[in-house]
Amino acid sequence: MGIIEPGTMIVSLLAFLIVFFIIYRVTYKPLSNMMEQRRQHIEHQILSAEQGRAEAEKILAEQRKLLDEARRDAKEIMDTARARAEKQAQDIIDAAQAEAQRILDEGRQLIERERAEAMNGVMQQVAALTVELTTKLLRNHVSEPVHEEMLKEAQKNLGELVS
Amino acid sequence: MPQHPFLFSGHWYKVDLVTVAWTLIAGLILIIVSAFVVRRLDMRSPRGLQNWFEWAIEFTQKMSRDMMPSEAGARFVLPFAFIVLAYLFVANWLGLIFTWEFEPSRDIPWLGMVAGKKYSLLNSPTENMNMTLALAILVWLVSHAYGLRHPLRWLKTYRNPMAIIDEITNPLTHGMRLFGNILAGEVLIEALLRMPMLFGWIPTGLPLLIIWLLYSAFVSTIQAYIFALLLTLYIGHKDFNAAHH
Repeated sequence: MGIIEPGTMIVSLLAFLIVFFIIYRVTYKPLSNMMEQRRQHIEHQILSAEQGRAEAEKILAEQRKLLDEARRDAKEIMDTARARAEKQAQDIIDAAQAEAQRILDEGRQLIERERAEAMNGVMQQVAALTVELTTKLLRNHVSEPVHEEMLKEAQKNLGELVS
Repeated sequence: MPQHPFLFSGHWYKVDLVTVAWTLIAGLILIIVSAFVVRRLDMRSPRGLQNWFEWAIEFTQKMSRDMMPSEAGARFVLPFAFIVLAYLFVANWLGLIFTWEFEPSRDIPWLGMVAGKKYSLLNSPTENMNMTLALAILVWLVSHAYGLRHPLRWLKTYRNPMAIIDEITNPLTHGMRLFGNILAGEVLIEALLRMPMLFGWIPTGLPLLIIWLLYSAFVSTIQAYIFALLLTLYIGHKDFNAAHH
């Protein structure tokens, strides 16, 4: 001891090398292969999880968009329906009012006309009767001028009576 | 210092049998344990020893990435560093757990053993300077083989001649550091075991022995780590894959 022994050195180095290669084959290779395999497996899992999540998010956004669209459509349909109904109701009311006005106007005109007709008839009758009566009464007593004056007065009185 | 049986004792090429045997046995222990782990390898739910092995690989991986300038270098050095770390951990602990002495009743000349002398048959292989230096030289060779993948860049590191001194001191200190720490631990354990008992039955050395064993366990672990760390560092010095070199 204490000095270099080349024999021991070489033989123990050979022994170590044998041990080294056996351990490399028996232990290290399968262990590191397994660890590499696991690393890849985990990487793959993480990747696919990330992909799945991205896809889920995409689908969720799509669904949300569709829901929003549907909601907007429904609101639009409701609005247009309500507007149409209101317009229809207004139209019906307008038409009814116009009809009522028309009927009222017609009636009023009819009354006016009938009244005027009746008044005309009465006036003619009264004038004719008056003239006849006056003629009969005053045939011989009244001169021509007086007769004319009396007629005028009578007309004036009648006019007051009528109006 | 423990006496070992030698093959070809008396020649310059004598071989320390205890060191060589325990170099192989330490490897065998690691191989058996790890084969047991690998047989029931489970990717999804690792348990028991597999976690320890995975932790050690990840630990070495982190260390290599910190030390090596390029990712390719870190991948290259990882198996070497991991196996050296695990192997040295087992080898350094071996000498702490058991001790085994043998006293031959007669001379065994072909093993260089003399009757009546105590021989230690169980020591950490790393307690022998030759074994650790051999490991350090292996690291040195690997680092240069790796560096010579880029011969011009490898040559450029010697523009400063002081780098040549590094080439001698690095493997020397690399091997001696491990050997010195482990040898010191085991020599003191042996000395404490030989401490005489008070009144012939009170083991006065026991508390000291326990403290020293705990400390040696710590040192053994740390030295395994330091050896692997320096291994990545020295190979990292010769890693010219990064463009800025």
